[in-house]
Amino acid sequence: MTRRNSQSWSSQSIASRWQHQFFYLAIRLGGRRLAYAFTYPVVCYYMLFRPGIRKRTRHYLRRRFPDHKGLAAFRDSFRLSLSFAKVLVDRAIVGIAGPESMDVRFDSMEEIQDLIDQGSGLILMNAHVGCWQVAMSSIHMLDTPVNLLMKREHGDVDRHYHEHRGMPCPYKIIDPDGFLGGAVEIVQALQRGEIISVMGDRVFGNDKNKLKIPFIGETAEFPVGAYKIAAITGAPVAVLFSRKTGVNSYALELAGIIRVNPVQDRGLENLRPYVLEFAGLLEGYLQLHAYQFYNFHDMWENQRAEAGKH
Amino acid sequence: MTFKEKVKHTLVNELNLEDVQPQDILDDAPLFGEGLGLDSLDAVELVVIVQKHFGVEIANMEEGKTAFQSINSLCTFIQERNPQ
Repeated sequence: MTRRNSQSWSSQSIASRWQHQFFYLAIRLGGRRLAYAFTYPVVCYYMLFRPGIRKRTRHYLRRRFPDHKGLAAFRDSFRLSLSFAKVLVDRAIVGIAGPESMDVRFDSMEEIQDLIDQGSGLILMNAHVGCWQVAMSSIHMLDTPVNLLMKREHGDVDRHYHEHRGMPCPYKIIDPDGFLGGAVEIVQALQRGEIISVMGDRVFGNDKNKLKIPFIGETAEFPVGAYKIAAITGAPVAVLFSRKTGVNSYALELAGIIRVNPVQDRGLENLRPYVLEFAGLLEGYLQLHAYQFYNFHDMWENQRAEAGKH
Repeated sequence: MTFKEKVKHTLVNELNLEDVQPQDILDDAPLFGEGLGLDSLDAVELVVIVQKHFGVEIANMEEGKTAFQSINSLCTFIQERNPQ
């Protein structure tokens, strides 16, 4: 949920259209191996000659690995960026060759179906880990319509997986910049028993519905809108993380189910336990899969600025 | 109590508007942003409240735009669909 305003970050791809097209061509001509091979020089270029890009990897990495300095820190940035580049290649492969080209293991499909069968809809809470588009291609097998609360930058050249083959969009996109943050569409979708998919680890723009939560040793901001929606509608929140497990395989993990009680006042503090629960699940994931966190936004930024004032 | 007053009371009570009295809400004032100062999360709650208390479903964004302008527009929207 957000408002139309200025932002300090952008989800728009850093690469140009021809760079994307180059990788799509590499995939079509040489498959995954050729595209992966090209990720190495590209990532090297960004790490060596685009310090601004490398800096964006450091927000998370310097907190995850506070002891890593110099070469070790550079290696972390390279490893994370390379991992991200391969995820982008995988996403394009799913689009070009179809979802069946990726082996996605998901052992909790029955639990998700049970939650849907409760009839209050389902909020799927993801994070910027693994590849959510690969996850979505798997969730699509549920036969339950999926609505994605997602902001897409105007003019972004980065394609979603279904766009490669001109397929109809397998999910409905709800624009958080739409009228009242898509409130009407969200409620109606949940009341129809559908899935609303949201990212739990990024605050959009100047959204005021957020809380400061301890996360990887410091205080970071997390959005709370989804928990409030869950409290209002009674929808359960399923925390779902994906991760790359092999060259052409991913795993989807139901990290937890958050049940939000109805709230009795307007204060966001009532929602703190649920945000803490999510942050704890995400931190646990990152302990195991440190190089699969692709949230390059500085979640800790405002806290540092405030600390500087005192 | 008029229907308009009933709607105002329902909003104040259900949205827990602690610093607002029903009589403080102007009939023509915007519900969101300036005016009553509700935000997008309140809108989620408002959709559910209108359905629960007045039996009227706000089916899509266009209907929401029509209904959520002000108390006047909300009352008109509800009464057109569910005359009480």
